[in-house]
Amino acid sequence: MSVGPASFSEPDRENQMEASKALPLTLSGKSAGRNPMDRAHILRSNTFRWALAVAGVFAVFVIVLFGFIYWQADQYLIARSDKMIGSQLNFIAGLPSERRLDAINDHLKPDTRGVQYAGLFSADGRKIAGNLERFPPDLQMNDSVRSISVDRTLPAGRETHVIRAIARHMPNGDALIIGREVDETKEISHVVAQALALGLLPAFCLCLLAGAWLSMRAQKRVEEVNQRVQRIIAGDLRERLPHRDVDDPFSRLTVIVNGLLDEMEAMIQALAGVGNDIAHDLRTPLTRARLALERGRTNATTLEQLQSVADKAVANIDQSLTIVTALLRLAAIENSRRSAAFGDVALHEMLHEVCDIYEPIAENKNINLRVDVGHRLNVRGDRDLLLEAVANLVDNAIKFTPEGGKVNIELLRGDSETIVRVSDTGPGISEQEREAVLRRFYRSDKIRSTPGVGLGLNLVAAIVKLHGFRLVIHSGQGGRLEIICPDKQD
Amino acid sequence: MTKVLLIEDDSETAEEITAELVDRGFEVEWSANGIEGLDKARSSQPDAMIVDRLLPGMDGLTVIEALRKEQVRTPVLVLSALGAVDDRVRGLRMGGDDYLTKPFALVELVARIEALLRRPVESRETTLRVGPLELDLIERTAKRGDRVIDLLPREFRLLEYMMQRSDQLLTRAMLLEEVWNYKFVPATNLVDVHMGRLRHKVDGPGESPMIHNVRGAGFILRTGP
Repeated sequence: MSVGPASFSEPDRENQMEASKALPLTLSGKSAGRNPMDRAHILRSNTFRWALAVAGVFAVFVIVLFGFIYWQADQYLIARSDKMIGSQLNFIAGLPSERRLDAINDHLKPDTRGVQYAGLFSADGRKIAGNLERFPPDLQMNDSVRSISVDRTLPAGRETHVIRAIARHMPNGDALIIGREVDETKEISHVVAQALALGLLPAFCLCLLAGAWLSMRAQKRVEEVNQRVQRIIAGDLRERLPHRDVDDPFSRLTVIVNGLLDEMEAMIQALAGVGNDIAHDLRTPLTRARLALERGRTNATTLEQLQSVADKAVANIDQSLTIVTALLRLAAIENSRRSAAFGDVALHEMLHEVCDIYEPIAENKNINLRVDVGHRLNVRGDRDLLLEAVANLVDNAIKFTPEGGKVNIELLRGDSETIVRVSDTGPGISEQEREAVLRRFYRSDKIRSTPGVGLGLNLVAAIVKLHGFRLVIHSGQGGRLEIICPDKQD
Repeated sequence: MTKVLLIEDDSETAEEITAELVDRGFEVEWSANGIEGLDKARSSQPDAMIVDRLLPGMDGLTVIEALRKEQVRTPVLVLSALGAVDDRVRGLRMGGDDYLTKPFALVELVARIEALLRRPVESRETTLRVGPLELDLIERTAKRGDRVIDLLPREFRLLEYMMQRSDQLLTRAMLLEEVWNYKFVPATNLVDVHMGRLRHKVDGPGESPMIHNVRGAGFILRTGP
């Protein structure tokens, strides 16, 4: 029946939702635990249900075990009792007939508990001796020991008893009956019941208590987590999940989630920072454009003046558009997965091409641009993007190297990697800048306004990361940047 | 008169484009959505089309695809706010002839439309000639009159491209895309530096200049002043 669990879980979920809605109002887990609704919650919780099931199975098992013990003991005692009855019968039957009466009386006399039965009847069914009033009708002569019911006269009245008995014909035609009431069975069942009550009941209760406690504890922790999560959702990014210093799965889970939250907090803060930077960078040219247009509108008297105002405005708007384009492109590269369109890129050819493109620019600045490619090396990647990355490095190097300096493009071979190195005789990158540049969100205002490291370098880093390569920035005098392309293992 | 069909849903943008093209002597037809645009493309047979990618009714690329299936070869310039390289490649694969990312300069748009209308015909000529300038594509040599011009491979390619499109305005973006095969705009103005060197070689002292710089737009190769 699949309807059962579903109809159970529906109200459960509702309750949880209500509880979570009510959570911001309850301040501590303890007060929440006293809530009757929460108690119902505990009884329905999965942990408790499991505890209940385990306790039930345990109880059934113990009952079966005790039943088996009872049955075995009962069998054994009856067999022993039967043997005793048989030997007594043999003993009395073996006596001469005149001594039988005394033997029967001797047999019955010490029996204070009233469990022994004996009877001697003549061939016509008349009672000669013993404590049986008449010959039991369901007893067969010369049979084995069997259970029969007999009436017994006591001072309090007649009682029917079930006894084990045996009957035998004597040589003189009399019938001798020896019986015994097996009251040990009763005792055993009493003992077993007592043992059950002493052992099983407390164990069962303990199971249920443990289940309830575990369930309550889990519930409490979940509620604690829920409260914290609600706070995080409400915008408190510093909140973390409660964490105890014990090695249980729940604690490990909270550690993992807390790590995730740390990462997210850092990212969100960095994003906010990036947002501010972008806003700042965009506002500057837009403000200039706006001012130019506003002043131009009131002050320009000739067409030429108006045109120069328009030119200024267009130039500034173009600059802000350039920033937007660069940022979008950066985002596009950062968000793209490793492309299936990667192919073999001949780095040696590519570096020559970059050198070819930038050579006139370097020469204009009287910079010696050299390409030193000793090997023909291929890497897997997107040729256009890699060209863009190297071009950006060279562009930067030329831009920030003073006149008369040198820029070198090299292709090197490491142990298990290919290295593209762009070095120059410029001011280089300081240790602090280097740190900032390699950070995850490195588009900080400081970096962007620092000469030598523009948005271009961020783009290089994004392209390099997309390829699974590494960008190494050496600090110190003279810029030295390397794109390290590890050999593919496959 | 050259007829241009403009399919663009933003009326203000369309108005500016239309005004600019009319000023330049084009006849412009405008539709604001893809379905109507496709009908007009079929009925009025324009010489060139400018198609926005995101259109109400029918996507710009779908319009182009439909036309190409009907064997309509009208050159199409695709406009789009989607500027990523992949978008561009897709736009061109779907049958667009050129791709311009919004926002763009009107000069750029006009230059590209003119380039589309005056696409160089495939010729078996192995020598290009513009005025006194002569380019031998087999020997890879250049001459201006009797003077031999010594060109680097890259300069040769640039001059070849310009001579195939003489008297046309070539913007920096067009040159970067076509000559340098750049998919991005570099920080430094590469084109100007390379053009400066080429001009230095082509326009010798005492000769009338052939490579002209059009301020804020690009370059033209022509014989006249």
